[in-house]
Amino acid sequence: MPTRAFLFWLLDGLLAIALAAALAVAVSLLAERVAGAELLLALTLLCTAGLARAGAQVLAAGAGQHEAARAKQAWRVRAFGAVLRAPAGLRVMLGEQTADATDRIEDLDGYHARFQPLRLAAVATPLMVAAAAATASWVAAAIMLATLVPFAFGMAFAGTAAARAAARQLDALSKLSGLFIDRVRALPIILGFGAQDRVVRQLGAATQDVAQRTLVVLRVAFLSSAVMEFFAAISVALVAVYCGFSLLGLLPFRAPETLTLGRALFVLVLAPEFYLPMRRMAAAYHDKQIGEAALERLTRLAPTDGATAASSADLTAPPGMDIRDLVIAYEDKLIGPFAFIAPAGELTVISGPSGAGKSSLLNALLGLAPISSGEILLDGAPLVATQLQGAVSWTGQMTLFLPGTLADNIRLARPDASDEDIAAAAASAGLTALIAGRPAGLQTPIDPRGSGLSGGERRRIGIARALLRDAPLWLLDEPTADLDAASADALIALIRSASQGRTVLLVTHDPAVAALADHHVVIA
Amino acid sequence: MTRPQLDTMLEQATRPYRSATWLAIACAAGAVITGIALLGLAGWFITGAALAGAAGIVAVQAFNYLLPSAAIRLLAITRTVTRYGERFYGHKAALSALADFRVALFERLVSAPGTAAPRGAGDLAALLIQDVDALEDRFVRQPGQIAALVGAATALAFAIPAGWAATAALAAIILAVVIAARLLARRWLPEKAQAIQQDIAALKLVFVEYAAASPEIAAYALAAPVEAQLQHQAAQLDTRRTAFAQAEAMLAALVTAAGGLAMAAILGLSEASLPLTLLAALAAAGAVEGLSAAVRSSGRDAVIAAGLARLAVLIGTAPVPSAPAAHLAGDQITITQSGQTLVLKRGDRLVVTGPSGCGKTSLLETLAGARDAASNVMIDGDFIGAIPADQRRALFAVSPQSAQMIAGTIADNLGLARPGLTADDMWCALETACFADAVRAMPEGLGTWVGDGGTRLSGGERKRLSLARALLAGRPWLLLDEPSEGLDPHTECKVQVNLDGWLAETGTGLILVTHRDAMLPLGKQHLAMGS
Repeated sequence: MPTRAFLFWLLDGLLAIALAAALAVAVSLLAERVAGAELLLALTLLCTAGLARAGAQVLAAGAGQHEAARAKQAWRVRAFGAVLRAPAGLRVMLGEQTADATDRIEDLDGYHARFQPLRLAAVATPLMVAAAAATASWVAAAIMLATLVPFAFGMAFAGTAAARAAARQLDALSKLSGLFIDRVRALPIILGFGAQDRVVRQLGAATQDVAQRTLVVLRVAFLSSAVMEFFAAISVALVAVYCGFSLLGLLPFRAPETLTLGRALFVLVLAPEFYLPMRRMAAAYHDKQIGEAALERLTRLAPTDGATAASSADLTAPPGMDIRDLVIAYEDKLIGPFAFIAPAGELTVISGPSGAGKSSLLNALLGLAPISSGEILLDGAPLVATQLQGAVSWTGQMTLFLPGTLADNIRLARPDASDEDIAAAAASAGLTALIAGRPAGLQTPIDPRGSGLSGGERRRIGIARALLRDAPLWLLDEPTADLDAASADALIALIRSASQGRTVLLVTHDPAVAALADHHVVIA
Repeated sequence: MTRPQLDTMLEQATRPYRSATWLAIACAAGAVITGIALLGLAGWFITGAALAGAAGIVAVQAFNYLLPSAAIRLLAITRTVTRYGERFYGHKAALSALADFRVALFERLVSAPGTAAPRGAGDLAALLIQDVDALEDRFVRQPGQIAALVGAATALAFAIPAGWAATAALAAIILAVVIAARLLARRWLPEKAQAIQQDIAALKLVFVEYAAASPEIAAYALAAPVEAQLQHQAAQLDTRRTAFAQAEAMLAALVTAAGGLAMAAILGLSEASLPLTLLAALAAAGAVEGLSAAVRSSGRDAVIAAGLARLAVLIGTAPVPSAPAAHLAGDQITITQSGQTLVLKRGDRLVVTGPSGCGKTSLLETLAGARDAASNVMIDGDFIGAIPADQRRALFAVSPQSAQMIAGTIADNLGLARPGLTADDMWCALETACFADAVRAMPEGLGTWVGDGGTRLSGGERKRLSLARALLAGRPWLLLDEPSEGLDPHTECKVQVNLDGWLAETGTGLILVTHRDAMLPLGKQHLAMGS
């Protein structure tokens, strides 16, 4: 489908023809020694055509950029969803996924803004230029078209090799970016153990590797554009030599047409214009390679059109849960089988040795772990993968912070909660000391990293959310971790009373907590 | 660190690749000159041929057509070869030098981490990857920039036969394009480009944090607000990109418009014969077109300067060359806290307890050199504020509360502890940390991938791996922050017994932060913090 950017590039080609015509007319007038108004008009046309071309190029760039923004926006919807809903613990590095969902989408910018419109223009404009040249000299037009054949072969050959190299290079770039993010994150550990030298050596090897790969990709791209440059130059040379000999009457064959100086100059100036759109496309060839390789990675990352968030279950009453021979299969590790019943409206504590997969089990209930066999029954009906998302109270090992105040962050669990509800939940979760200690209290701003909050405080914010949400089903992963014994006891008592009549699944190591359970499930 | 220091680093990184840079410049100049000459000569040849053809057979025979037609073909080939050389050697020099530069930057970062601490990992990586990539642009464009000036000089030389008026007009046009482009580029581009980089870095930073918290996002169905927040940031980025691309296109358009003007000026003003006029006009058009390389660079320079300034801030102050100062023995640690003064001799063991948020973790971080300040702790009689962080670090092996891992295998993570560790050493430490059996059961043993930040391991597994790593470091003091969190009582008890034996055997001192009763027997001394 012809886009606006493409049409502007086409206009640019038309104006190039006008410019060549104005030049040819001006020179013919000079040759006939006609000065005055006619010459002035021709020279004015020449300047005007140049200005108009400039305008068309600006419009083409702007239109291309708008098209790119649309395409990127659509990919972001897909990629953001895919990463944020991905099961934790897959083999890909988080840094790598981040690079995919941000940098790779930015890689599409040049692909859509420049390469796509230029690719269409690279087909249409040369044909238009050749047609215009044919009106002055069909032989010159034929020379232009003839040089196109070897050129096309060269491009096709170089193109496939380049695409393969580009894909490899993109992988390397993503990995490198992921490696940098990871090592910067782990800086405290690296410093603590004095491991700087080893890590720097490793990164040094990785970056040089990427530099070499990039050079291989570029060499292929440069070769293919050298092929093009060569034919562009040769076509100018052939047109010039043909026209010159024809005007001298020295052609070694019978002259197929009668040339004038004006016609000859017109086709000479058009000869570079014939190849210009293709040279422009070649200049955007890097955009193409990077863009296509990025598309491939993005397709792998987010194969479907996102927006598949299954409608969440509408839990009106505390559900009973029946876990039947559930097995979770990560790439190289099987967890389970789990088999137990969590009766409706009661507190079920799950404990077991570390590494048995307690956290994975909770993730599986949310549809965030790959289940290989067995099933989860919710009030007797099989649970659909992501059905419980948005329908539970939750505390996990990581607490999410959105930019905003402390109150905003607690409110995430129930957006329609009143300020009083939030204050009450915060107080119940034991955040009173924290709130009292900050001048802005609940309005204290929090950044996405939760800077300045201790491990226990993060945990308590998570618990405040669970209390505020007060869903019929609570999933609590080690709610008392990072808390001292007295706080932990107080918190368990609170959970016990606040969750009265809700179905609660609580994962813990703490025998004191397990003792309070209505049901105690030990998994091995 | 200051810009001059950063420039020195850059200079050091580029030095080994200088010959490639010179080759690229020579090729670029060759390409521009041959390009200009090709079109100019072709115009001269056709016009001369037309005039000779019209003047009759004698004129035709007097016209030397062999030399120009051969020259035209030679120029066509030379231009292709030099163009390829310019690109290849330019990129080769830039990519290799910047790979070195990037690693040198990271090295600086780890040697002076203080100022970088508050930044997010995604942000830092964006600086290391993208700002350095922007530098690549400068290196790649440099030859073209020089060549454009060579081209302008060539065109002016061709214009001389056309008379002083035509030459002056061309010189004026070239000068006007260069100056106008430079001024407009400085005004339009730098802040736009800088904003783009900042937006990308900010987007990544937030994205990393959110992706790590995906279970909570799922539990409260927060995907919509989280994605909306990200989309909002991304849309702003797109708007800026469009503005930038349009400003760049305007600069390129300046050159296009000037090309037509230059041809018209020479045709109108030339006093030379028609063939020489055509030579001058087409050469001028080619030279003005060649200026586009210089025009683009003039916009980028300021942008790159901004990137370099960011990098300079990131790297912070130059590391104090770690003078072989008095080696710190770490024989005695004195802690004054909550009205208590504790004196720990090498090999002593201290347990620190207290309610959450009372500063237990801060105490460990202060000791281990991750934080400064704190006047309540002395090592070997000196306040720790007076002891350089790296000297303090050398005393302590830390297992932090977060039990942080690097993305890699179990062996990669253990290997951080000390150079030259063997597999036996690793297994031995894993035994002590009660993690050896679990690792043995993993399909790839020590080669098992732990995931990004250790996410493939459970909380308790990470704690034990982190403990094993600390044991391997062979430092005089072991600092453990909640080492048994996430362990079942049975394992916890075993870890306590093993640690007890290991400490006795190695004579290592211990400072342990815990709230678990099972770990208390490890301490000979006890510090209860807070109230």
